[in-house]
Amino acid sequence: MTRPGWPDGDDPIAAELRQALDDAQQRLPDDMTLRRGWSAIDAGAETGRRGARLSWFAGGMATTAAVALACAAWLWPRNVESPGMTQAQAQAPTEMRRLTLEGGVVAELQHTSKMSIEESGARVEGGTVRFKVPHRRPGHPFVVRADRFRVVVIGTRFGVGVAGDRRVDVDVDEGVVEVWNGEARVARLEPGQRWSGQPEAESPPAPAPTQVAADKALEKQELPQTVPADRTAPRAVEPETTLQMRSDSRHHRSGRAATSIAMIESPSRAGGGAAESPRAARDALAAGDAPKALEIYKNLAQKTGPVAENASYEIGRIQSERGQYAAAVATWRHYRSDYPNGILRVETDVSIIETLARAGETDDALSEAIDFLRRRPDSERRGEIARVTGDLYRGRGDCRHAIGAYQLAMSASRARDVVEAATFHRGECMVRAGDGGGVDALRGYLRAYPEGRFRRQATELAEQATSKTAGK
Amino acid sequence: MNTPGVLRSVPAAGKGGGADLDILHGCRHGDRGAWRTLYDRYAPIVHRFLATFGVPPEEREDACQEVFVAVYRSLSHFRGDARLSTWIYRIAARYASRASRRRRVRTMLSNMLLREPLPPPAPDASEKSERLRMLDELVARLSPKKKLVLVLFEIEGLPIEEVAKIAECPENTAWSRLHYARAELMAMARKRLKSNGNGRVGES
Repeated sequence: MTRPGWPDGDDPIAAELRQALDDAQQRLPDDMTLRRGWSAIDAGAETGRRGARLSWFAGGMATTAAVALACAAWLWPRNVESPGMTQAQAQAPTEMRRLTLEGGVVAELQHTSKMSIEESGARVEGGTVRFKVPHRRPGHPFVVRADRFRVVVIGTRFGVGVAGDRRVDVDVDEGVVEVWNGEARVARLEPGQRWSGQPEAESPPAPAPTQVAADKALEKQELPQTVPADRTAPRAVEPETTLQMRSDSRHHRSGRAATSIAMIESPSRAGGGAAESPRAARDALAAGDAPKALEIYKNLAQKTGPVAENASYEIGRIQSERGQYAAAVATWRHYRSDYPNGILRVETDVSIIETLARAGETDDALSEAIDFLRRRPDSERRGEIARVTGDLYRGRGDCRHAIGAYQLAMSASRARDVVEAATFHRGECMVRAGDGGGVDALRGYLRAYPEGRFRRQATELAEQATSKTAGK
Repeated sequence: MNTPGVLRSVPAAGKGGGADLDILHGCRHGDRGAWRTLYDRYAPIVHRFLATFGVPPEEREDACQEVFVAVYRSLSHFRGDARLSTWIYRIAARYASRASRRRRVRTMLSNMLLREPLPPPAPDASEKSERLRMLDELVARLSPKKKLVLVLFEIEGLPIEEVAKIAECPENTAWSRLHYARAELMAMARKRLKSNGNGRVGES
């Protein structure tokens, strides 16, 4: 084929191109492709006929919505504070406002809410603010201050409100939060629970040095270890606070009635007067008069609500401290049946396990510990109990199960002492069980804890195991 | 102007074309048969045009459908000033240019952001001829304007006045673009074949 404008003759390049152009003219799709195309177009045309006007309408609506959104975003007040901002106030002028704080914490303010941002968290100064806190790394809790109280969270959803009379309300949707007043933990709230703190008569004092120290210590440690004394002696709820189950809660996990609103009565309102208040019991204990404290608590346990709940637990603790292990365990088991979802339920479980172990009731202790691990997969105390379980197995010479328990403790706990002990004992059990990896595990312990508590035993055990292997 | 010796898929007719006018009338009145005729007549041409214009094989079928959907939606606006084929070519050319721009942006962004260039389009498995593959590669390197004129004139066999209408430029500009497109094509082919060490491409 001749092509005008192309060089004729023997130019091989031109000849190749001419031929290529001719080939390209013959390049037509096969029948199947054309049929497929027609099917698609025919189907599309049917919907297209119906959808043409609709698509114009939808397009118009979408454009209008986009413009409206852009205007709203432009007009929206820009008061979101930067993380470094201190004491900046966020006053919510509209119905509901959402702020994102440092670490992805979302705060929702009502139109009357008043909140300021502080370095380690936020301060609610008025109204209710709901928080959603993503899980925080250990030692860096998010702290919300409200009046003289601190609400400490690792990761949860909760609300903090400060009423006009400076009453502080805290309620929890998810996770666990603790409310602190200075060095004292005044409440530990689980989903569905609400706590109210009344203002003090005089204006709240500036944080004392001890409180600042406690704050710093709290931020350095993991939550379960914030106040070690709480493990055996949870602080009695302050008399000026109110604790209740939310009556409309969706979070009731047991048969506890939704109407079981329990008020902690202040000494003036309590029927027994000051002589039978939790404070009187604590004073008696501090004075070394345990029988009197026990008597006060027994009287308080006859009442209802958190005071009675707290007293029931305290009775067991005093009995345990006095060496009356069986009585203490019986008291706590009674508490468990009375308060299946009690606020001190986990503490009670842990106390029972520890007391049984201390009393040498290893079978019972092991049974309780295994039950705890099975029932409370999300508990903060899981690592601790796994370590106790490992100890109990090890005491019975059951190295195989002990290794498993220690492994669980290592993975579940964030407490250094628990992890350290579990790491060493796991290696020890592996060596005793003849596991070839035992020496490596002990060496791993020595590398991780060069100044650890079990350094000497780990070194000796590793040497013994190595020489035994060499001897063979 | 004439284009002797090229395959004419489109019936040569006056403005609108007699046969095309009937088709148009049927299509506008919702005659499914008329649509089928329109598709059967122009789909192969659109396919070929898109292939030569550099739309990769995996996108070609969808591209052809898009062109016909655009034809369907815009048919009521077609005034009949030009031939139906010219109008359809124009739609196809616009689509192909847009697709080409999108591919260029995708490649550029991929190179910038991912630091991992997009894989080159897979060779058309249906192409048996090395000669055609070479032509596609060379045409792809032309600028869009020159490419459009070359494809329409040399492969689609349209007269230059129609090419000019589709390219939306004066006829002289179309001639000029065609001239430079051919020259570039020749130069590129010469260079390529020289680098291959022989004067012939040969069949694969």
